[in-house]
Amino acid sequence: MCKIEIFDGAMGTMLQAGGLQPGACPELMNIENPDVVKNIHNAYIEAGATIIETNTFGASPLKLEHYGLTDRMAELNTAAVKIAKAAAKGQAKVAGSMGPTGRFIEPLGDLSFDEAYQNFYDQAKALAEAGADFLIIETCIDIQEMRAALLAAKDACDIPVICQLSYSEDGRTVTGTDPQSAAILLDAMGADIIGVNCSLGPEELVPIVKTLAENCTCPISVLPNAGMPYLKDGHTVFPMGPEDFGKWGVKLLEAGASYLGGCCGTTPEHIRELAKAVKDMPLPERRLPAKKLWLTSRSKSVCIDKSLPTRLIGERINPTGRKKLAAEIRDGSLLGVKKEAVNQVKAGAHLLDVNMGVGGIDQAAAMKKAVTEIAQLTDAPLAIDTSDAEALEAGLKAYPGRALINSVSYEPERIAQFLPLAKKYGAAILCLPITPDGVPKTAEERIEVMRQIIAAAKNAGLDDGDFLLDALVMTVSADQNACYEVLITLQMYRERFGYPTTMGLSNISFGLPNRPLINSTFFAMCLAAGLDAPIMNPYDESMQKALMASAALLGDDPNGLAYSKNEANLAVPKAAATAKVTELTPLEAIKQAVIDGEKDEIPLLVENALKAGMAANTITEQALTAAMTDIGVDFGAGRMFLPQVLLSAETMRAAFNKIKELTPASTAPEQGTVVIATVKGDVHDLGKNITGALLANSGFKLIDLGKDVDSTEIVRAAIENNADIVGLCALMTTTMVQIDKVIEDLKEAGCNAKVMVGGAAVTQEYADSAGADAYAPDGVKAVELAKELVQK
Amino acid sequence: MPVYNAPLLSIDAKETRRYAGLQKAVDFDEEKILAACEDARLMAAPKGIWEVYDYDCENQVIKSAPPCTIHGKKIGQHLAGCEKIIALSATVGEEVEEEVTRRFNAGEYSTAVIMDAAATAAVEQIADGMEKALTPKMAAQGFAMKWRFSPGYGDWPLEQQPELIRLAHADKIGVSLSSSLMLMPRKSITAIIGLYRKQAETAPSHSPHGCAMCNKTDCPSRKQ
Repeated sequence: MCKIEIFDGAMGTMLQAGGLQPGACPELMNIENPDVVKNIHNAYIEAGATIIETNTFGASPLKLEHYGLTDRMAELNTAAVKIAKAAAKGQAKVAGSMGPTGRFIEPLGDLSFDEAYQNFYDQAKALAEAGADFLIIETCIDIQEMRAALLAAKDACDIPVICQLSYSEDGRTVTGTDPQSAAILLDAMGADIIGVNCSLGPEELVPIVKTLAENCTCPISVLPNAGMPYLKDGHTVFPMGPEDFGKWGVKLLEAGASYLGGCCGTTPEHIRELAKAVKDMPLPERRLPAKKLWLTSRSKSVCIDKSLPTRLIGERINPTGRKKLAAEIRDGSLLGVKKEAVNQVKAGAHLLDVNMGVGGIDQAAAMKKAVTEIAQLTDAPLAIDTSDAEALEAGLKAYPGRALINSVSYEPERIAQFLPLAKKYGAAILCLPITPDGVPKTAEERIEVMRQIIAAAKNAGLDDGDFLLDALVMTVSADQNACYEVLITLQMYRERFGYPTTMGLSNISFGLPNRPLINSTFFAMCLAAGLDAPIMNPYDESMQKALMASAALLGDDPNGLAYSKNEANLAVPKAAATAKVTELTPLEAIKQAVIDGEKDEIPLLVENALKAGMAANTITEQALTAAMTDIGVDFGAGRMFLPQVLLSAETMRAAFNKIKELTPASTAPEQGTVVIATVKGDVHDLGKNITGALLANSGFKLIDLGKDVDSTEIVRAAIENNADIVGLCALMTTTMVQIDKVIEDLKEAGCNAKVMVGGAAVTQEYADSAGADAYAPDGVKAVELAKELVQK
Repeated sequence: MPVYNAPLLSIDAKETRRYAGLQKAVDFDEEKILAACEDARLMAAPKGIWEVYDYDCENQVIKSAPPCTIHGKKIGQHLAGCEKIIALSATVGEEVEEEVTRRFNAGEYSTAVIMDAAATAAVEQIADGMEKALTPKMAAQGFAMKWRFSPGYGDWPLEQQPELIRLAHADKIGVSLSSSLMLMPRKSITAIIGLYRKQAETAPSHSPHGCAMCNKTDCPSRKQ
């Protein structure tokens, strides 16, 4: 493959020049105007193209639906290959072009992975059977669509497959995939050539080509546009002329590409200049990357290697022994799983293990759903943890990246079922030295089993860079050599195989007291012996500390800088927090706590004040109410903002609750009764809830009727509760008119309650015209007005 | 009716601050904002859908079947010179707003308000994500995009929401209207984006954008 190949250039614009009408199906030209298509091929071959693309970019069944031509799919693709082969006359190769469906794959869109697969399978089969030399899947912006197309192409035929994504100016596809992750994943899935086309000009594609070349061993292809397009006089203009385009060919070659061509805006002249520029150049020597264990998500790659810092594999997405999580999963809720995903990444996990092992559920469906949802939430690559081959395939298929399979043991069904799936989906495998006879005890025995697993995996097509070796931790209370054997195993794995290592740690301490101490000590020992990627609970502070300390000791954290910084950070805030409180009197401290929204501190402050003999009323009036008055002033003056006021209200609530708890006899003075509601037809209730919360925490008795409340219900509640005030909220101009109706109905019913109104669309003017007693622009003002209204 | 459910890898904390009216509260605990953004993200189920239509800007008519006449001077000016429009709808789903209510009822007032703001930021981000995906698609056909305009902006009456729901096929992503023309789920968007053929050298004649065009100048969320 070490040869420069020249692709052709744009097809669409040439078809238009050849008579393609706007809105017509370009692929229909293969039947109705084959000579136009053939002439285009001839022009490119004459210009120096050594590979020409068939006129089938939009000839997949789903794309042809737009023109009602789905049933002619095979005919159009076959004709296209025939025309191309006739033009090539054996002097150029023919690549069958497959463009995207124009739809996004679930969960980004509404097209299922299987539908996409079938779409590309049918087209790939038609192109290959007609005699194409290559398949080229191009211009994809969704890695899932590329995965579906590549799997389909490889299943449909044996000709080489070229995979080209399109990247935007930020260096990622529209759906977020970076070229490194794409190269790693597509290489692992068996793409023969990996590349990029369209969207950008050659200059912008140089760094992308470089990244692709550095991250896979396949040849690289690049088909740039003729510069960055811009819109002029209502048309898309590509500014780069043939000569400049040709010059960039040399740079693209140096960046690592060996298949060069053109996309939008290029012409036979561009290809002529390109071919001329690179024709006599020797293919620059490309330094192929070493085979390391890389895993990817849709938008990120993570490498596990002895030369790199420890990678944590979060173990918490696992219902084993966790009743609540198991029950949630059984009920079809993934909220707990999603929380664990996000929180583990926040706690420092680099990869996430996903285990959906709950009895009595459809394992495959649960795994598919979990993998799909987690992949939407975080960019940490996933390990699919299951013993069920069906669940494994469902997870691998749904995952828009290169996953780790947890795990492959030397048990016949795992070898037979899991290895082909790893190969097919380009996954890496976690190798577990277990045989049908059980767990080998000594390190030497484990090495032997591992050798057999790796041999079987290589036999199935896997290679260096696909393996993560598990040292297998047994319980030390049952076997005094358990720790020792693990340490030896880790060392021997590194010496004999050189592959990175993993293990679940916590089993070691089973049955012993103070397990965290044993676990973290064991962890530190293992890190020294060569553990690269522990499967652990990333929330465990003692483990995180052991990791930081070990990194400093083992030289992964030069001079212990990160360790020192972390220790320093832990020390600072506590001192600052204690210094603040002590200078204030108890009442001042309570008041300040309300203003600062210190709702966790206030119960203790209140308790201390009460214990010191202070009356509940004094605390309420001089600290709590006084704080609220200050807050009202600050809010009005724009020094304090709504969420802060609410935090203060929460703090008041905590204080009131404490007072009630400790002095049940003391009744808080009641300011009056307020019935509050969002009017009929209106479902916005946050503003009303805020006002209600502030009123309730300022001494008013609150009756909240909720949202979308009918006038008759409001009137009834006002009379029954002998309300002093009725508060009405309406957010929209369309619902505001309900305010008039409620006020009318209240009057008719003889209710004397004062009416206060508010809500986004309501104004003072409107309030006046509706006959309301007060208009509150916000919740804080509402409290102030309510106090005035009850005194009237 | 293409569907694109733009993923939410994070919710913009700065925008959340703005929607929560905290722009000036520089000392407000960032951790609290970030936690509310994460909680909202866990509950969010991003969905988006759109459809492209021909547009007669002289008569303000969208050439759908049946056609739809757009009322409102500002939207008419905004879409002047546009040959096509995109009708779109986006939503974060219902679960976030249910959680906001739950939190509020549990006395977590401030968290509830910030989560509500985070949900607003999220639905805007989902629509932004759709625009990002649409821009190259439209550019390939020679079209530049105007910024998105929703019923209720300027003098475009809310009464046209039902039309927009129909044009965007918003029902397909679970977005509907209450009898008083409110979007349900609440954290949803409907909008129109004008498509025009950019002429040489002329900067697009965009009318005042976003907050700048709104006359509620004392709004705490007004962009500064």
